Amino acid sequence: MSYKLTHMRRIVLLTAVAALGMYSALAQAPPAGAPPPGAPAGGRGGRGPQAPRTAKAAALFDLTGYWNAVVTEDWRYRMVLPMKGDYAGIQLNPEGLKIANAWDPAKDEAAGEQCKSYGAANIMRMPGRIHITWQDDQILKLDTDAGSQTRTLNFEASQAPGGDWQGVSRAIWELVPVGRGVAPVGSLKIVTTKMKPGYLRRNGVPYSANATLTEYFDKIDEPNGDSYLLVTTTVEDPTYLGQPYLTASHFKKQANAAGWNPSACTAK
Amino acid sequence: MKRIPKLLVPALVSVAAFGQGLDFSGRSGLPAGIDISGAYYPLPGQDSGLITASGSLVEYGGIPMNEAGRLYALAWSAARIQGRQHQCMGYVVPYTYNAPGNFRFWEERDPYTQRLLSINSYWQISEGLRTIWMDDRPHPPAYAPHTWAGFSTGKYEGNTLSVYTTHIKRGWIRANGVPQSDEATVYDHFIRHGDRITYFAVVNDPVYLAEPFSRAYTMLRNAKEPDGWLYACDDGEQILGRPEDLVESYDWGKHPFLREFADKHQLPLLGLLGGPETTHPEFVTKLKDPAAMETAAKALLAPAPGAPHASRAVDPNPRDGEIHVLPVQGNVYMLVGDGGNIAVQVGEQGAFVVNTGAGQLSDKVIAAIRKLSKNPIQFIANTNPSPELTGGNVKLRAAGMDPSLMGSFFSGQFADAGQGATVISHLNTQMHLTDAKTLPSDGIPTDTFVHDRRRKFHNGEAVEIFYQPNAITDGDSIVHFRHSDVIVTGDIFSTTSYPAIDVKNGGSIQGEIDALNYILNRTIYEHDEEGGTMIIPGHGRACDEWEVAEYRDMLVIIRDRVQKLIKSGATEQQVKTARVTADYDERFGVNSGAWTTDIFVAAVYNSLKNPPKPAQ
Repeated sequence: MSYKLTHMRRIVLLTAVAALGMYSALAQAPPAGAPPPGAPAGGRGGRGPQAPRTAKAAALFDLTGYWNAVVTEDWRYRMVLPMKGDYAGIQLNPEGLKIANAWDPAKDEAAGEQCKSYGAANIMRMPGRIHITWQDDQILKLDTDAGSQTRTLNFEASQAPGGDWQGVSRAIWELVPVGRGVAPVGSLKIVTTKMKPGYLRRNGVPYSANATLTEYFDKIDEPNGDSYLLVTTTVEDPTYLGQPYLTASHFKKQANAAGWNPSACTAK
Repeated sequence: MKRIPKLLVPALVSVAAFGQGLDFSGRSGLPAGIDISGAYYPLPGQDSGLITASGSLVEYGGIPMNEAGRLYALAWSAARIQGRQHQCMGYVVPYTYNAPGNFRFWEERDPYTQRLLSINSYWQISEGLRTIWMDDRPHPPAYAPHTWAGFSTGKYEGNTLSVYTTHIKRGWIRANGVPQSDEATVYDHFIRHGDRITYFAVVNDPVYLAEPFSRAYTMLRNAKEPDGWLYACDDGEQILGRPEDLVESYDWGKHPFLREFADKHQLPLLGLLGGPETTHPEFVTKLKDPAAMETAAKALLAPAPGAPHASRAVDPNPRDGEIHVLPVQGNVYMLVGDGGNIAVQVGEQGAFVVNTGAGQLSDKVIAAIRKLSKNPIQFIANTNPSPELTGGNVKLRAAGMDPSLMGSFFSGQFADAGQGATVISHLNTQMHLTDAKTLPSDGIPTDTFVHDRRRKFHNGEAVEIFYQPNAITDGDSIVHFRHSDVIVTGDIFSTTSYPAIDVKNGGSIQGEIDALNYILNRTIYEHDEEGGTMIIPGHGRACDEWEVAEYRDMLVIIRDRVQKLIKSGATEQQVKTARVTADYDERFGVNSGAWTTDIFVAAVYNSLKNPPKPAQ
């Protein structure tokens, strides 16, 4: 009986401690929908209101610099122009299949649509280099040499109309819950919408203006000094896809701009 | 210490998860959010066609393989899977995470402190099991056995579980013949994003890769516990009457399916042959000149002219002047550090020692054996006459005694009967040691046998010594400790070099292959070519049958290449120039010293041109 009482007291005590912990963690988290780069606003025992930190100041890791695509995934679809009809791995619905089967790169070129494969939903799969800089405290700029494209990853809500190849990208530092006193960890999450219809694969596999591109950027530092940028991607497109299209790509950090070779889009 | 009541565990975990600073998660005190526990399956969209675990023949684009890796793959025939030891081959890290089937991850925690001990991973294909140690333990020494999953240690870095793995068996980077050597090490990383894991691995393989092979892919979490977890495999007789020394391979430049995949998908052969340049964006510019690509591709189909390459493998011998003891299995230990490996079987009787090393550190060897065995060394078996295996005979013999001879009729004839261990070998090894005059007479075996087998029951188990004619020499044997299930091969098998076939003393490539097959006919794996009968080689790390089979395959392939060249009228020098070992030199090649690749090739050539007469 005595043990049982002690046991129950322990449970009550620990549950209370856990509840306090939950309260504390919730107090630190930004309110739902709030811009994530803002600093924790004090919380219990904090020092009062502080100016929100910028996305740049709140960066979980440094993505700036030149990165070189390492084309080891989906090599035959990325390094070489795939054959018409080679859609393996992508679940197209009948409408998407119809568009893909009508692919004509010469027609795209003639129509000035040679950048269809260089839109946000596929640009990170193109063999090439990317250059990431902070355009300002709230916008990461991502330039590609393949197709000479520019993506603006905005940490603030934007009223931009979109409708171009790169669409409108909303970025957040997505934090993983960790203990107090531990440096925040997480990923850069980017959601892109309002894209001009383009190709998920260079052989005409389509995505529509209704597509949503969700990406996670993570940085890996190897013990030998190599750094890699991982890009995990989901494309959801109710117009042309039967199910989400998921890929993972990676880039290796370069010390400088060596090999940076801006080129025009090509449909062939 | 009292066991913590189970009801408290969830509460404790909650405390850690919500940040009260209590550390129950391992070394870095992090975090609930990156826990990857659960059941997953690989994303089916990316690398479609490869996720069925194979890929097509000659589809190596995007793999930064070096010449040896490419030549290995180009020689590989899918018919090799018919071989008994290949049928249930396991999957290595990281290749296994691209295989079909289900994966499971779970944590193992100390029941008393709830500190994270390991994160475990199980995969359905080949029923693989990986333990990622999270407790800062060191990796085993280089002479320890390898496994499919390897030995992994992990830590949390930010939102990532980062893992370092060594001691992996030779497996696949891609199961269409692109090898990952047993010298490869892997850094892999797990990042959880909701219901998926982004998996990123970097393979560093000094043997078969010119650059690290990095690759990212995705696993998706199963909404419910999947039903399929098993993968029954048992090797069988797929082709009745298949010769034991048959290992199918393609001659370089004559791959019958060389262009099949390229033609089907209109892809450039140069790209499909792999290499570091195929992973870089600059490769796109090469596509503009098909004629130049074709010329370049043809140059990659056979070894480049030049000297054989030297091994890039790590020497498993610490060479630090100390003797290192590895418990192998049952009552058998492997002693490393004094030239060739020494095997020691212990029990209620005196120690049974197989080979005595180079003799440079014999005092330390004896001290190490005394720690293992309360009784002195009773028997010493010499498997080969090599100085690296017999150099310690004199001292180890002197340190032992053979009570079975004391008080016997021997005592009447020999005053020193039983003083010193009894040294056993095949008669021809005794004769070679006598002729070589490298040992004084008290280091020469005194207890010899002539025919196929010598047997003893010692320390509670059957010990069999099997003669292997015309392998390294005409006097070789292997020793099988049957209850411990450990085979000591002597120099018939090595993980560090091509076999030092001594043609002048009756050795031959065919006898060597026959001896390896003899060993393989006595071994049984525990699960999917792993464990079971353990092997102590003459030099190198402890193994199981997989490594012996790989070694046998290599020697058969090299034998067949040399034999074909001999039939075409090639001279010894022409065979050497052809670089018939090019796909294995980065692993076993040596260009200086007493046993070089050229000398090995000459031994193969000469023992095929003039096979030894059957041993008398």
